[in-house]
Amino acid sequence: MSSVELRKVDKHYGSYHALKTVDLKIEKGEFVVMVGPSGCGKSTLLKTIAGLEAINSGQIVINGRDVTREEPGDRGIAMVFQSYALYPHMTVAENMGFGLRMAKRPRTEIEAAVKRAARILRLEEQLDKRPKQLSGGQRQRVAIGRAITRSPEVFLFDEPLSNLDAALRTQMRVELSGLHAQLGSTMIYVTHDQVEAMTMADRIVILNKGRIEQVGSPLELYANPANIFVAGFLGAPRMNFIEAKAVSVEESAVSVAAAGLPALSFGGIDVGGFSAGDTLTIGIRPEALHVEPSNRAMPVFSSRVRLVEQLGRETVLYVDASPLQATNSDSGTGNFTLQLNKVSAIGVGATLQVGFEIGDAYLFGPDGRTLTPRKPVAST
Amino acid sequence: MYPRPIPEDARVQRALYLGGVALVVILWLLPLLAVMLTSIRSNEELMAGNYWGWPQKFSLIENYKAVFEQTAMLRFFLNSLLITIPSVIGVLILSTLTGFVLSRYPFCGSNLIFALFVGGNFLPAQIMMIPVRDLMVRLGLYDTVYALIIFHIAFQTGFATLFMRNFIAALPGELFQAARAEGASPFQTLRHVVLPLVRPALAALAILTFTFVWNDYFWAIVLTQSDAVKPVTAGLNNLRGEWTSAWNIVSAATIFVALPPVVMFFMMQKHFVAGLTMGAVKG
Repeated sequence: MSSVELRKVDKHYGSYHALKTVDLKIEKGEFVVMVGPSGCGKSTLLKTIAGLEAINSGQIVINGRDVTREEPGDRGIAMVFQSYALYPHMTVAENMGFGLRMAKRPRTEIEAAVKRAARILRLEEQLDKRPKQLSGGQRQRVAIGRAITRSPEVFLFDEPLSNLDAALRTQMRVELSGLHAQLGSTMIYVTHDQVEAMTMADRIVILNKGRIEQVGSPLELYANPANIFVAGFLGAPRMNFIEAKAVSVEESAVSVAAAGLPALSFGGIDVGGFSAGDTLTIGIRPEALHVEPSNRAMPVFSSRVRLVEQLGRETVLYVDASPLQATNSDSGTGNFTLQLNKVSAIGVGATLQVGFEIGDAYLFGPDGRTLTPRKPVAST
Repeated sequence: MYPRPIPEDARVQRALYLGGVALVVILWLLPLLAVMLTSIRSNEELMAGNYWGWPQKFSLIENYKAVFEQTAMLRFFLNSLLITIPSVIGVLILSTLTGFVLSRYPFCGSNLIFALFVGGNFLPAQIMMIPVRDLMVRLGLYDTVYALIIFHIAFQTGFATLFMRNFIAALPGELFQAARAEGASPFQTLRHVVLPLVRPALAALAILTFTFVWNDYFWAIVLTQSDAVKPVTAGLNNLRGEWTSAWNIVSAATIFVALPPVVMFFMMQKHFVAGLTMGAVKG
């Protein structure tokens, strides 16, 4: 039985269509991360699951029970907010026991639940303090503790780490993954940070403009994005995109041309939905671009280095390959991004031959759909 | 044209500025000073025309004793308390409830209701004199403390609702969502989340309302008649009639009457805790 199920959920704010017929099944104990750009509806979706936002149509089922019309407190969920939302006039212990107190549970039960949560989150020393006296990371833990004490079926996290500094965020990320392993509860986590999504999720749900673009494991989504949006959203630095024309379309094969690039032929293509002369998009991940390739069979273009970023173990190059232009690039200049897994001595102004394996490239149709066949997912 | 700091070295301007401030302050406090001075003079001195000079004889204790022994001020004072305290409590309760609902539970027509609360403040209260008096007569409440209590609660709740609504609306919204997600009912949210957080606002509102109601003279004379019901403001007027020449007693009574709002201010001061909501959200 799935833990949370959304059936054709629709949500309007006036004339604004915030969620468009969202269907999603989340299994018991799963850690699902919803990602997407700002305004994609991810927080709205979480709030509809919580019951803080009413939906216009559709059904929300938690643990086999239709909770669409139920109050948040009756849904068996607990929510952790971006701003922590701790009650400033209550101590840590009072904050964590709030939900149980409101439910008029016996004092001994509340105390036991608070103690247990405090032990899990290493907050035993802080129980008598007020939120004001705590650091950001501790406040976040109190907010999580407040969720734990209610022993909910489903934990909902709304960008819980975005107010923390980078070091603390990494630490809390590890702690949250550990907490999930320890509690085994279903967790739904909303973030705009793809690193959080990639590292924590069992499955990622990618949202865009109120619609689910794709659902799958992090590596699956990375290797086989369903469309150009997912391809461009996951991965940092971003995938390089090249606009190209379909020259000839045959049965399951297409040859494309772009200014500055030799003619390319892709095989195993789903050729429905477009014809010769249509504009397609080629996608190549920055790490799939090779400098001075030894393999002479690779498609190659020449370029000039504009900017070098040394990240210690990796080097990111931004290269100008005019007349070949990258669209949608990180830098917004039409430059290509290359990621080398080593420290490189290449300097700004150097002229490079850049090549790629045709098998590493993606081809997207005029509607943005991925046309290239499945790629193997890196094994874990 | 906003005030800018005067540089340290512009001595003439600084002196002019400080002199100007001092003048305004003195002018502002002059009536109060006169009342205070008069309240410690003897009647003979006043008759002799010594209004502003140094008192030759201090009759502080005699004058204040006379207020209690020779006048009904104590009765009026008690009436004022009987009117003001229930009014303040009523206003605080009603405005917290209306403010909470109007800020957090939008419903069809809630904006209209809020606009009525706000708009009511712009009506000059005096135009209601005859209908309100008529209403109280028909209700059989004319010339009772209830008439004043009901009127003051009704009239002050408009402004108080505006005040509380805006204060509650400024509290972080996620606190309310969290309470709801935790299963707190609206009433529990009000009791356990809103009330502790709006304490500074309630304290400020209590002082404002207290001062308003305590100092009200107009409605006191419109809605009351007998000495057994009259509050201090109307009572002071009585004093003037009976003791036309005893300005020292009237002044002493005035000071006595002016004390409660001041006491109220100091009592409520400790509730003005700045930044009570700090730490609720973010860092």
